[in-house]
Amino acid sequence: MTGDGCTYCEDDVLAYVAGELAAEADLEMSVHLGECPECRESAADFKALEPLISECCRDEAMRWHTFASPFGRMYAAATSCGVARLTWRDLSEDGFLEWIAEQHPGRPLIRDPEALAEVEREVTEYFRGERSEFDMDVDLGVLSDFERGVLEELTEAIRFGQVIPYSELARRIGKPKAARAVGNAVGANPVPIIVPCHRVVRLDGSLGGYGGGIEYKERLLEIEGREDLLKVG
Amino acid sequence: MTPVSAHVDETGRAGDAGPVAPDRLEGWIEGYSQELRRHLVRMLPSEADADDLLQEVWVRAMRRPPDRGPGSNVRAWLYRVATNVALDRLATEGRRCCALVGRRLELAPEPVSAPDEVLGSLSPAARFRVREKVATLPPKQREAVWLRWVEGRDYEAIAARLDCSKASARANVYNGMKRLRVELLDVWNEENGR
Repeated sequence: MTGDGCTYCEDDVLAYVAGELAAEADLEMSVHLGECPECRESAADFKALEPLISECCRDEAMRWHTFASPFGRMYAAATSCGVARLTWRDLSEDGFLEWIAEQHPGRPLIRDPEALAEVEREVTEYFRGERSEFDMDVDLGVLSDFERGVLEELTEAIRFGQVIPYSELARRIGKPKAARAVGNAVGANPVPIIVPCHRVVRLDGSLGGYGGGIEYKERLLEIEGREDLLKVG
Repeated sequence: MTPVSAHVDETGRAGDAGPVAPDRLEGWIEGYSQELRRHLVRMLPSEADADDLLQEVWVRAMRRPPDRGPGSNVRAWLYRVATNVALDRLATEGRRCCALVGRRLELAPEPVSAPDEVLGSLSPAARFRVREKVATLPPKQREAVWLRWVEGRDYEAIAARLDCSKASARANVYNGMKRLRVELLDVWNEENGR
């Protein structure tokens, strides 16, 4: 109960503000708000809270989108900092959303094709062989500093059509003995294709592993004109 | 009071009937002006406000007419419009929406008519405080509040996401909102040394 002699509770007021009451109950509550200052005050507060929450938390949201690709259904998600996930491995929308929720706990998920339109466009162009570089920010916030360092160096230094051995990448980041750790960091890449982990190969020229499935690594290298590597692997 | 689907909400959920014919609106004005004005006087601190806002009620009524079906309840709907107009005024003027984030001075000084306009002028610091309060809700309440008010989901979708009943989804939204109301008012009270 919210006031002297008032038979309504805060939940009733919330239901009213949310427009969830049937006509009669709604009218009853409208009239009551004229009579009960305490319910009126909480109604005004709740009415102010709704836009406040949606407005202030929107920046925190993970926006996502799904589109068709030669690899099958592609799922992409982005924060306000950049693309945080690109994948074709999750068979279902639910699987994808679960992954996001696990990796980025505490962020609202909003389906937003418009926000991801640029990602769809550039990835599609890449598959068509019309694009050799991605012009977008990535959000690697879920990774450790080391992992992020590896992937940043990879994106920066190894261009379309080039490849680099794990050990060479380790040397480039100043940790020549950390080839295995570099391999793990490359494997943790949440935004394959855009961060080109498919360009990291073994010293002997064989392809090494690929989180998305080795056949996809082959196809990506093929798009980049490196059929020569496929024969060795 | 058991919540059901909305029948009289003025935001258009009651059905998107076309614009109101002028004679129909005149009929409403004639039939309901007096009692709606009395209602507004009770809702608001001054009678002058009530006269102002009564005009606003008719403007909104014209813009978003109620469902014309036989089950529609014009009186309930007009009360809803009037109450919303009054609550918006209470929320944006005086201490409400501004007070809730404890940053009154950072808001635009000129009077505003809708919460959206107030929010547009919120400082990053104030937004941060709101986010912080939402982020520290118990996880289920936080997610429910987000799904409801940031993603705009209905209770059925929230129940599916939280793996709970519809009633429990609603309870999580409600409990989160009640907690936020208290916490944001605490922020305000602390800042003003009350």
